[in-house]
Amino acid sequence: MIVANTLFTRVVRNSPYLLIALLVVPVLGGLLGVLLPAFGWFPALGAHEFGLFGFVQLFQTPGIERMVLLSFGTSLVSTLLAFIITILILASYFNSPWLKRIQRLLGPILVIPHAAAAIAIGFLITPSGFLSRLVSPWLTGWDTPPDWLLPHDPYGLSIIFGLTLKELPFLLLIALGVLAQPEIGKTLRAQHKVASSLGYCPMTGFFKVILPSLYGYMRLPLLAVLAYSSASVEIPLILGPNTPPTLAVAIMQWFSDVDLSLRIKASSGAILQIVITLSLLGSWWLLELLVKKCSAAFLINGEREHGGMLIKRLTDMITVAMLTIIGLALVAMVLWSFAGFWSYPDILPQQLVSLHWTSALLQMQTPLFNTLVIAISTTLIAIALTLLVLEAEQQNTKTISAISGFIIYLPLLIPSIAFLFGIVWLFEQVNSQHAYVNVVFSHLLFVLPYVFLSLANSYRRLDPRFSSVAASLGVPPSKIFWQLKLPLLISPILIASALGLAISFSQYLPTLLSGAGRINTITTEAVTLANGASRRTSAVYALMQMLLPALFFILAWAVPKFFFRKRG
Amino acid sequence: MRLSKCLNNYYRQLIMSLCLLSVISLSSNVFANEVNIEAKSTSRAWHNVEKRGTKQDVYFHAWGGDQQINNYIQWVSDQVKQKYQINLHHVKLTDTSEAVSRVLAEKAADNHRNGQVDLVWINGANFASMAKYELLAADWAGELPNFELTNPTNNPAMTRDFGVPTQGMEAPWGQAALTFYFDSLKVNDVPQTLPELLTWSENHPGHFTYPKPPDFLGMSFLKYALIILNEQQPANIKEKLYQEATVESQVQLLPQLWQFLDRLHPTLWRQGKHFVSNGLALRRLMGDTELQVSFTFSAAEIPSAISRYDLPDSTRSYRMKDGSLSNIHFVAIPYNSPHIEGAKLVANFLLSPEAQSRKQKTAVWGDSSVLDLSQLTAAQKMLFDVPEKQHASANIINIDNTRLLGELHPSWVKVITEQWLTRYGVQ
Repeated sequence: MIVANTLFTRVVRNSPYLLIALLVVPVLGGLLGVLLPAFGWFPALGAHEFGLFGFVQLFQTPGIERMVLLSFGTSLVSTLLAFIITILILASYFNSPWLKRIQRLLGPILVIPHAAAAIAIGFLITPSGFLSRLVSPWLTGWDTPPDWLLPHDPYGLSIIFGLTLKELPFLLLIALGVLAQPEIGKTLRAQHKVASSLGYCPMTGFFKVILPSLYGYMRLPLLAVLAYSSASVEIPLILGPNTPPTLAVAIMQWFSDVDLSLRIKASSGAILQIVITLSLLGSWWLLELLVKKCSAAFLINGEREHGGMLIKRLTDMITVAMLTIIGLALVAMVLWSFAGFWSYPDILPQQLVSLHWTSALLQMQTPLFNTLVIAISTTLIAIALTLLVLEAEQQNTKTISAISGFIIYLPLLIPSIAFLFGIVWLFEQVNSQHAYVNVVFSHLLFVLPYVFLSLANSYRRLDPRFSSVAASLGVPPSKIFWQLKLPLLISPILIASALGLAISFSQYLPTLLSGAGRINTITTEAVTLANGASRRTSAVYALMQMLLPALFFILAWAVPKFFFRKRG
Repeated sequence: MRLSKCLNNYYRQLIMSLCLLSVISLSSNVFANEVNIEAKSTSRAWHNVEKRGTKQDVYFHAWGGDQQINNYIQWVSDQVKQKYQINLHHVKLTDTSEAVSRVLAEKAADNHRNGQVDLVWINGANFASMAKYELLAADWAGELPNFELTNPTNNPAMTRDFGVPTQGMEAPWGQAALTFYFDSLKVNDVPQTLPELLTWSENHPGHFTYPKPPDFLGMSFLKYALIILNEQQPANIKEKLYQEATVESQVQLLPQLWQFLDRLHPTLWRQGKHFVSNGLALRRLMGDTELQVSFTFSAAEIPSAISRYDLPDSTRSYRMKDGSLSNIHFVAIPYNSPHIEGAKLVANFLLSPEAQSRKQKTAVWGDSSVLDLSQLTAAQKMLFDVPEKQHASANIINIDNTRLLGELHPSWVKVITEQWLTRYGVQ
């Protein structure tokens, strides 16, 4: 396609370079800032010689193999579980109104920051938690909390539980996002109908016809989830064991240890973390090959029914159990936020007070303002840049190269704990003193990929004939972009914005590190308080963390309705 | 050759001591005049600090996990705004080491003038670390006019941080002692010594624990145990706890601690297989009634937690009869702070009778003052004895019939942490 050379097209053409630079420079710079100390170069500590003593120290750490195993095991199992449950839900409720309902019920969890989710789950499963209170003392005879090892069990079951619950809505949303695209969704549904008319049971039809195509669209998000969970900090910190903890938690503790010489070991640990994440991605790929090989025969064996009802029952049970747990966690959280003293094993607090809300709301104003300013500026930049890059793709009539496509997901695939400490060093190198700018910059690393992920498919699948017709009528590219594409895409753009805001709201480490601790957001305050002594105040903050993104998702859902009604 | 060298040395020493003697006698002769001149020059120097420090932005990096303390710092920032138009920003840390890493990162990046940290709340191992890597401004604490009110010449604790000389890099801010607390409705036989604690925990398994080292509070419990368990040792061995840890002293002193912990751990919460990661989690577990006896460094948090329903109304606090670990906490200025004068003004205000007496009030923070009351005027003393209405838990049992135990040399922290992690860190 020949494109006019206007300011708009020039900006559009150059936007991919800006995008790549914004993502590559900090990540690679941050990695360099970790790589050098990992191999012994840390001038501020008087370490000027390259060597492997950081790694020697690392592998002498008591329990290091357990840490590695815990990181590897919890992330692989939780991602696998979340993926399987997502598929089961999709298969069981495909073409049923329940799919939308489940999505609506699970959606809010997506936007709950990991720390808040971990706190809520903790409230539920601790020995003095809500579950234990529900069955005590009438069933169990406990009048003091039992001494069981949940959460913080040494096998990481609580971590797996927390991660699965948190990853599931994300995967479901991604899958539904793919199915919601007019073109793919229609094709797949039509294929499913054909399968049904050939006598396939809906469930089997889903597995044989839809899943193989759908999986291709879900692969990258899945890998991102896998990478993220292998190096996440909040959930293992709050729900995981600490004798020993997961590797990522240990690295964070070494980085912030009083003994500054541990910094070298921490950097070596960060390199090990990258190796673990890479081998997880490799394992997933192998697993994929294996499944492909094993299921090839199954796909074409012509069998119409594979225990569909049984799977449906099982899925019903899992779904109900999950929704119950989420519901109970929410109820427990709301109760804690209003609780007076609440002794064990009472199901309800002795009195309900509003003290925790009033005192928290008074202290919340600055953090709330910071949270909003940072999230909105980050998201605006991310949306604008994403749209420009996607438009550039269409003007060049080819998708961005495989390498660039991969680079966009770089910050999601490289464990953030590995490069964030290096980024702080990088900000120091360029002497960037503006805390707000630094925070927005580092949030962008995490917001941009998600926004891109969420928008790219919709944009690419937009029927090109619309713009061809417009162009043939002599409409300039900028007008096509503003007056044709954007209105058509308003719904996905708003969803992507809400997602971007939610991601920004939930960032803890990036805010803390690049803001030099000067910028308090709701999330940094919540994590600080979660480490603190009051379940009541942390319940208030955790609820606040949920309300904020929920508000924007509701807006994203409501605005297009209003918008289209006005047009229609 | 050797003899001449010896003689040489001998003469040099002799001359040196003579010189010293004459200087001392000289200075004592002119002492009366000197004081006046010095006072004048100090006040002139301080006047300069006041002039340059006004209207500066001061970033105070201080642990932000306690609402009472945060509110107190907010009050301080209102006060210095009024007095010096200083904008004091409280940077709330989850761990003081965050500030240490930040200054270190700045030094690594050759940022020697424009650091982000102007003032930091610090003591113990964090201070030792910063001092070791020369991350702190030196020789300023003595300049503060209010520093004299702590009576540093007669009170060596004001210039030593866990046994390490502060060399003017820190100004004292407050002091705290290890205080235990329990639920008086659930516990009848309160353990009041370390051996009693072990027996009590054996009789009531699962109701006591301590935070995993290197957490500050967990470390403090281990230090308390280490001191008490080595009480019977000869004095020349005992005192090695207050010196740099050596291989020899570790062999002499640590086995007692490990033997004790080997017996204690199976009786702890979660059978000692999991330890909480910070001190505040202990209070949450007390509120959940999972624990029945616990401890803290800030006794004032107990009545305030009761008023916020975080602890049962029947909670009472006490000190162990065999001793209570006590330490002083300080504020320090990083070497690359761009607002060093403003930071000094804030540090000086923190030491004022006004700020110290307010801090000591249970309803505000309840942190003991570091001022020596004998150095204050009658009006200033008045500030300290305002009667308060208190919850029963604010009266600490045994407070007058126990002794304060000094902090160990900071090098023990690393030694104990490493060996603890090897022994109990993997389960």
